[in-house]
Amino acid sequence: MIWQLDLSILTLIVICAFATIMVKDLLSAAIIFGAYSFLMCLLWTEMGAVDVAFTEASVGAGVSTVLFFAAVHQTTRRVRTRKSGRMLAKVFALMAALLTGLVLIIAETDFPGFASPFTPASLHLSPYYITQSLHDTNVPNIVTSVLADYRGFDTMFETAVIFTAGLAVIAILRRYKRDDRCDLPEPYVISEGYPDTIIRFIARQLAPFIQLFALYVVAHGHHSPGGGFQGGVILGASFILLAISYDSRMIIGIMSERLNILLGNIGVLIYAGIGFLCLLLGANFLDYSVLSKVLPATDKIMARSHGMLGIEIGVAIAVMAIVISIYLNIISHGKYDKG
Amino acid sequence: MQSIISSYNYWIYILLMMIGLYAMLAKNNLVKKVIGMSIFQTAIIVFYVSTGAKEHATIPIIAHGHGAVEAAVDVAHYANPLPHVLMLTAIVVSVGTLGVALAICLGIHRRYNSLEEDEIQEQL
Repeated sequence: MIWQLDLSILTLIVICAFATIMVKDLLSAAIIFGAYSFLMCLLWTEMGAVDVAFTEASVGAGVSTVLFFAAVHQTTRRVRTRKSGRMLAKVFALMAALLTGLVLIIAETDFPGFASPFTPASLHLSPYYITQSLHDTNVPNIVTSVLADYRGFDTMFETAVIFTAGLAVIAILRRYKRDDRCDLPEPYVISEGYPDTIIRFIARQLAPFIQLFALYVVAHGHHSPGGGFQGGVILGASFILLAISYDSRMIIGIMSERLNILLGNIGVLIYAGIGFLCLLLGANFLDYSVLSKVLPATDKIMARSHGMLGIEIGVAIAVMAIVISIYLNIISHGKYDKG
Repeated sequence: MQSIISSYNYWIYILLMMIGLYAMLAKNNLVKKVIGMSIFQTAIIVFYVSTGAKEHATIPIIAHGHGAVEAAVDVAHYANPLPHVLMLTAIVVSVGTLGVALAICLGIHRRYNSLEEDEIQEQL
């Protein structure tokens, strides 16, 4: 923890936050927000939270920026410069924000010092995880073992939340008939959209390597930062890259809507299925150690490690399908054709 | 001086949260409101992650961990993994909420042909 580095990153983050709020062009705001996310993951790496930083780099800086682009592409780029009026609302908003900040700063005086090893959060539960993770599960990455084993029930419902978000986007945007009651405005044209050979060639060559890297991230999450969530998002991003450089139709040819929803279901079901398998073998829900009865040549400790790998694969499949589905719905305005 | 160094991080997180809150309340454009919501979320996430930071601690992956089980692991050498786990899933959920929020924005734009709050209110 080098406080000078910390302070400079935090200053840049605050500048980015101001800029992304103040700028009049929504496309610029999305790009500055991507820079904000990257600075954020720098900060987290600096705090030692490598798994969180990895997730932010793939989710916050990657997929969120693309989703903002897609939404701006479908609506309008300019923020209308406002006539006067609404001054009162602005003053009230500023006062509410300042008041909240003041209350929080007063509350802050009771906090333990930053990066102190003796905070209450670091004294009660986490020492058990740090000392026993390797002994219990044979997984060196403590974040993975807590995520998938000790708090596996929690993570299962997080996966279900992602799945629900995908369903909600489909429910809001998806239209099956060609002409639904209101006519659409023409999407905002960012570029002329001519086929660029270089971009298409590079995207096509890059996609298999990105997918291979994603599989590595899923499979190697036990020993290095990574896991199902990050790997799934990277897998989805490889498809989104192709959809941007070519055409959404090509991706819909490979990953149709039906297949996407099916994969999302399968991912969540793999997770829950492993849980129920443990139940059937006579242990608690998601207690992987009992899987040693069905997996050949494993003791109870290795079975927990393998069980975690199984659910990480389920998470990766679900997250991949849902990320692709959300992107395709937003970019095509729920019509699943152009983009 | 010591007290400033030990708590300036928290002040900046509070500042970020105030920026996000202000954007959500005062901005007229709906996409700007969504960006404000995302800044608010990251401010809270960074606060949680910061509770897991420890001085002189490394990342929570046990060194030379594979194979033989080491005799003892010193707790003070590794950052607290629990906030990391909770916030990792929160980030992934935040992309889900972002997708739903943008979908709602698109739906509003489809019906009212505007993303500005006051223009939509005039049409209501």
